[in-house]
This record gives sequence, C-alpha cells and structure tokens, in this order.
Amino acid sequence: MPTLAHYLYVSGALFSIGLLGVLLRRNILIIFMGLELMLNAANLSLVAFSRFHPGLDGLPGYNAQVLVFFIITVAAAEVAVGLAIIVALFRAKQTVHVEDLDTLKF
Amino acid sequence: MSLALFWIFAILTLLFAVGVVVFRSPVSSAMSLVMSFVGLAALFVTLDAFFIAVVQVLVYAGAVMVLFLFIIMLLDLRTEERRPVKLAAWAGGGIVLAGFLVAIARVISSLPGATNTKPEILPGLNDVAQVGVALFRNFNLPFQIIGVLLLVATIGVVVLSRRELK
Amino acid sequence: MTNLLIALAPEAFLVITALVVLGIGVSAPKARGAITAATLLGGLVAAAALLLHPVDGNFLHGMVVLNPLARLFKLVLLGLGLVSVVFAAESFPKLHFAEALALLLFSMVGMMLLAGTEDLLMIFLALELTSLPLYILAAFAKESRASAEAGLKYFLIGSVAAAFLLYGLSLIYGVAGSTNLRVIAKLSGDPDPLLIAGIALTLLGFAFKIAVVPFQLWAPDVYEGAPTAAAALIASGSKVAGVFILTKILTLGLGHWTGTAGWGQFAPGWAPVLALMAAASVVLGNVAALVQSNVKRLLAYSAIAHGGYLLIGLCAADAPSLTAVLFYVIIYALTTAGAFGVVVIVEKQRGGSHLEDFEGLGKSSPVLALCLLVFLISLAGIPPLAGFFGKFYLFTSALANGRHLWLVILAVAMNAVSLYYYLIVLKHALVLPAPKETVPTAAPASKFLVVLLALAVLALGLAPNALIGPLSNGQTVKNIIINTLQK
Repeated sequence: MPTLAHYLYVSGALFSIGLLGVLLRRNILIIFMGLELMLNAANLSLVAFSRFHPGLDGLPGYNAQVLVFFIITVAAAEVAVGLAIIVALFRAKQTVHVEDLDTLKF
Repeated sequence: MSLALFWIFAILTLLFAVGVVVFRSPVSSAMSLVMSFVGLAALFVTLDAFFIAVVQVLVYAGAVMVLFLFIIMLLDLRTEERRPVKLAAWAGGGIVLAGFLVAIARVISSLPGATNTKPEILPGLNDVAQVGVALFRNFNLPFQIIGVLLLVATIGVVVLSRRELK
Repeated sequence: MTNLLIALAPEAFLVITALVVLGIGVSAPKARGAITAATLLGGLVAAAALLLHPVDGNFLHGMVVLNPLARLFKLVLLGLGLVSVVFAAESFPKLHFAEALALLLFSMVGMMLLAGTEDLLMIFLALELTSLPLYILAAFAKESRASAEAGLKYFLIGSVAAAFLLYGLSLIYGVAGSTNLRVIAKLSGDPDPLLIAGIALTLLGFAFKIAVVPFQLWAPDVYEGAPTAAAALIASGSKVAGVFILTKILTLGLGHWTGTAGWGQFAPGWAPVLALMAAASVVLGNVAALVQSNVKRLLAYSAIAHGGYLLIGLCAADAPSLTAVLFYVIIYALTTAGAFGVVVIVEKQRGGSHLEDFEGLGKSSPVLALCLLVFLISLAGIPPLAGFFGKFYLFTSALANGRHLWLVILAVAMNAVSLYYYLIVLKHALVLPAPKETVPTAAPASKFLVVLLALAVLALGLAPNALIGPLSNGQTVKNIIINTLQK
C-alpha cells in the first residue's frame, strides 16, 4: 500500500521538475507548461492530505478537494489570460522567447 | 497491487513531466503534458478522489491542452532553433533542483504519520455528491468569486487577443 | 444571512458597477466621460455602504471577517482604486476604455475581499482576483511593445509566485487540516518541518505581491511598461492589500513560529526568512535606483526598498511594530499614488517619463512641482512629512524590540543613499530649465487629486495620530497584541 510519504515525494518531484522548466526553458509556452506542473504538484499534495487525514465522520477531507477544484478553475482562467498575453506579445514582437524581451531594460 | 499501480502512474506522471521540460518542439512538450496530467488523474483515482480525477482530465487534459495546442498552431511555432545552451544555467538549475529535492525529502521523512497507509473510509461513498454538497453549502461565496474571476478572464482574453480594425 | 449581505455590500456594489460600466462600454464606447463618472459613482456608493452600515463579525467560518481595522483597510483600498480610476482617463488607450475601468473595479473587489478574510482558500482566490485583472491591465496598451512585455513579465512572475504560495498553503493545510487561520493558530509546540517548509514557500509567494527579493524582478519593467494608471494601482493598492494580509497570516495564523532574526540570536521561524528578504531588498532597491533615468523605474526600485523597510517591521512582530507597518504602508501607498499622478500628467504633457521630461516643471506648473516635492521628500523620510513619521515609528519600534539593530542600521544607511536619487529627480523638476516647448494639457481631475494627496501626506505628517489612533485602538490590533503577547 502506498503511504502519504509516497504521494508527497511524487508531488515534491513534480514541483521541482516544473520549477526547473520555468527556470531553464526560454520558450514562454514551455515556461507556462512548467507552471502548470507546479500547480498540479500542489493539487496532488492536497488530495493526498485529504485522503490520509479523514475527518471524524470517516469521510475524506472534502474541503481540500473543493480547494483543488478551485485551483483547477483558477489555473484554467490563468492559462487563458496568459495565452492571450502571449498572442498580444507575439503580434507586437514576433517572438515567444524570453531572451528577446528586451524593450524594457535596466 | 495498489502499490504497483501507484508506481506505474507515478513514474508515468514524472517521466512525462521531464519530457515537458526537455523536448525541443512545443507540440511534443504539450503532448507529454497531457500524458503527465492523465497519470496524475490516475493518481487521484488511487486516492479515491474520483470527481477531482474527472475534472482533471476534462479541464486540463481537455480544455487547457486544446488551448495550448491552438496557440502553438496559431503562432506557427516550430521546433526551437538551437540557441547556445547555457551550461552554467543548467548546472545551476540542477543544483537548485537537487537542493530542493533533498530539502523536501528531509521534511517528508521527518513528518509523523508519513508512513501510515490509507485509513479506512466509509465504503461506497458518492464522491461527486459529497464534493457538490461541500461546494454549494460551505463554499458558496468562493464559488461566486470564481464566477467573477472567469468573467475577468473572458474580458481580458477578448480585449487582448482581438485584432483591432482601424 | 442578511448581515452577510450587508457585510459584502461594498464588494457587491463594485461588481454591479463593473457590469454597468461594461454595458455602457458596449452601447456607447466613446462616452469616456460617462464611463468614468459611472465608475466613480459606483465607488462612492460602495464607500457609503462601507461607512454608513458598518457590520462587524465572522461569517462563513472565517471566510468573511469584518472589524474596524479590516473596514479601514477596505476604505483605503477603495480610495486608492478610485484614484487610479481618475488617472486612467489620462493614461489608458482610448480603445476598450470601459473594459479597462471594469477590470480596475474587479481588482478592487479582490483587494477588498483580501482585507476582510481569515481563510487561506479565500486569501488565494482574492489574491487571484486582484492579480488577474492587473496582469491584463499591464498588457492593455496592445500597440506598445513595452506594455505587452510588462504584462507578460508581471504575469509569469506572478504565476510562479502563486504556484509557490499554493504549494506552501497545501503543506500548511496538510499539517493543520484546515484553511482557517485561527484553527492553524491552535497548533502549538515545536514547529513541524513540513509546516516550516510551508511557511517559507508561502512567504516566497507573498514576496511577489509586495515586490521584495527574490520576486522583485517584475517591478521595474511593469512600472515602466504598463499604462501608468495601472502601475499606480499595482504600486499602491496591491501593495497595501498584500502587506495587510501578510501581517494577518503571520500574526493570526503563524504567531507561534515567529523565531528571531537578531544578530547572533537566530531561532528558526518566519522572522529570519523575512529579515534576509528585507536586507536584500533594502540594499538592492536603493542601490539600483541610483542609476535610473526613468522616473517610473526609479519609483519601482524605491518600491522594492520600501518593501524591505516594511518587512523589517514585520520581523519585529510585536504590537507597536505591526501598527507601525500598517501605518507606514498606508502612508507609502498615498505618497506613491500621488507621485504616479504627477507622472501621469507629465507623461501627457511631454510624452515620456524620463528625467529630462520633468525639466522645467517648476516653471510650467508650479503646483504640480510642489506636490512632487512633497511626495518625494516624504518617500525619502524627511520631517515634517508623513513618510518621516512612518519610518521613524517603524525603525524605533523595531529597535525597541532590541534584536534588530543590524537591520535598522542597514536600513537607515540605505535610506541616506535614497536621498540622493530623490534629489536628482527634484533637481530636474525644480532647477533645470525646460529644453523644449511643453503642450499644456488640462487634466483638472488628476491635478485636483494630486493636490489632494499631497495635502493628505502633509496633514498626516503634521498629525500622524489621526491615523495611528484607529490603527492601534481597533479591536483587531488588540487581538494581534494579545496573540503576540501569548507567545
């Protein structure tokens, strides 16, 4: 039987992989995908906590699951807005590379 | 049995997550993101969170992925041209990753009750009904706020991505 | 239930106003005056609802918590939002003006919800409702490359910060089994390592909202590239909301795990993390501001430095320093909003916000130059302006705690550095002659507001007790005091 630790390890690894993608990739779309991985890591740990710490009534912690539901919705809204910003940027600058974002500079 | 299933899906999720980060072509990255999300949904099922698993597949693997692929096609992004790989950046990233993983592992291993197996819950729970009751009874206000948030996103997308007629 | 309705009436009015404004925008997109008027009217109705029907109480298990302090902050946030609505008329593109104002209103709703909640789930949602419209507004001037770039940077860094925050919140939930701050506060004893990790990640997430190291990178680009009215709200309202809710989380929810950041008396908790962030921000902000030639970028680096000062007060974590933090953040927000107002008007006259665009301001519009003088001197912390009392109060209360001498010395030294760059701006505005002809523009509403803000900064400098009183006698601050004393 997998334990809580198993799930938390997977969640931590997923978060780190996502973070790595955000830090290292230069393509904005892929940075974005890394972000989604990070958000999903949080979802996984929330669902794991909800299952491993059931309430007194013997039900899983549904509050955490509702929180996950909200996070998924918010993430979808964020993706929509982010992709719209990328489209606007692409129209203005013809690039999706972070290195080419040099209009604003120190 | 359930441990074997856990490992299969966990490895699936993580492998494809690595794929997202290392693939050169945005389409490959997007497809491995889908696979990673499907693996994650399966992990949710092993945690008896059926509703969340379904939503995960519908929203992420469905809607969000279509959006990503649509934008990739719209902007006509091809495989990234080879830019000079910054070794220092990747090495630094590797160190950050390793440090983060070690920190997480230490934190988790010291967590009391981390090695307990899943406690019993009532058998035959109607998962969707339970989440629904929680959502509309205790979390009614956040639910309304999410509605406003989606309206904001809609306005934003329309305004930002519209091509203005001169 | 009816009480809950009254409690949320200001937010509800703002949402309705936003819908009405969108409606006007669809039927008469060119009627910008009507759109602004409707927005301001809705804001005033919300303010009236807030002032005339004050309800206190805890609704929906802590999701909506109202007390005098929360209501004061809601009022301040509403005011700051309306200030940027007025500036918006001068600085937003003509196209989609109604949508811009509606988004400003939605962002204000998010900030006000944030000020009145004690639940992590609501905090997350309200933060998103605050940020999402601001991301869009930052990218709103589509034809400008700088704006699109600013929007993207703000969005990317904001989303990374949100991911950190969420992961941190999930760990805190895992330890406490609840999202309610007061339930989390009931955990006691030695902090669980998982909880410490959760707290650290949450703090990183908030570093974005108040623009401190390590999530400060967006600030200069967003302040410069975004439409100036949006930048004004990002710099003032969003910072106030972020600082207020961070104070709430740290004292109400995590008061047991403060730790100490004193030199040589280190104890684990959130204070050492904050101390490091504060020291890095104060140094980076003030040093980088020295070489800026764009006033908006300069204000951004000064914002990073001020974020650092605020964190010093939070590190000290006793009742006087927390009051000082709340006092200072309000003063700072009023001052910055005013400074951005001057930038809005100058930008309209000269088409830019570089130092040379400010030359000759003293001759062409002496009132504006005088207001700029008031704002910058207050930011630099020179008596008798409000900024001086804010800093004085902040630093002395951190010192009284006896453990943060090194931080305060660093901050005071760096504050002396900051004097230099504020004076450079003033030199350009007051001493140097104008090199080119200026187009005199009438922006009566913005000018009036700038003067009003300058007067407020002056008045709060002469009578700081007017604001410190409500901040320190309110019921919640008492609670905060009790919380801190019980540790």
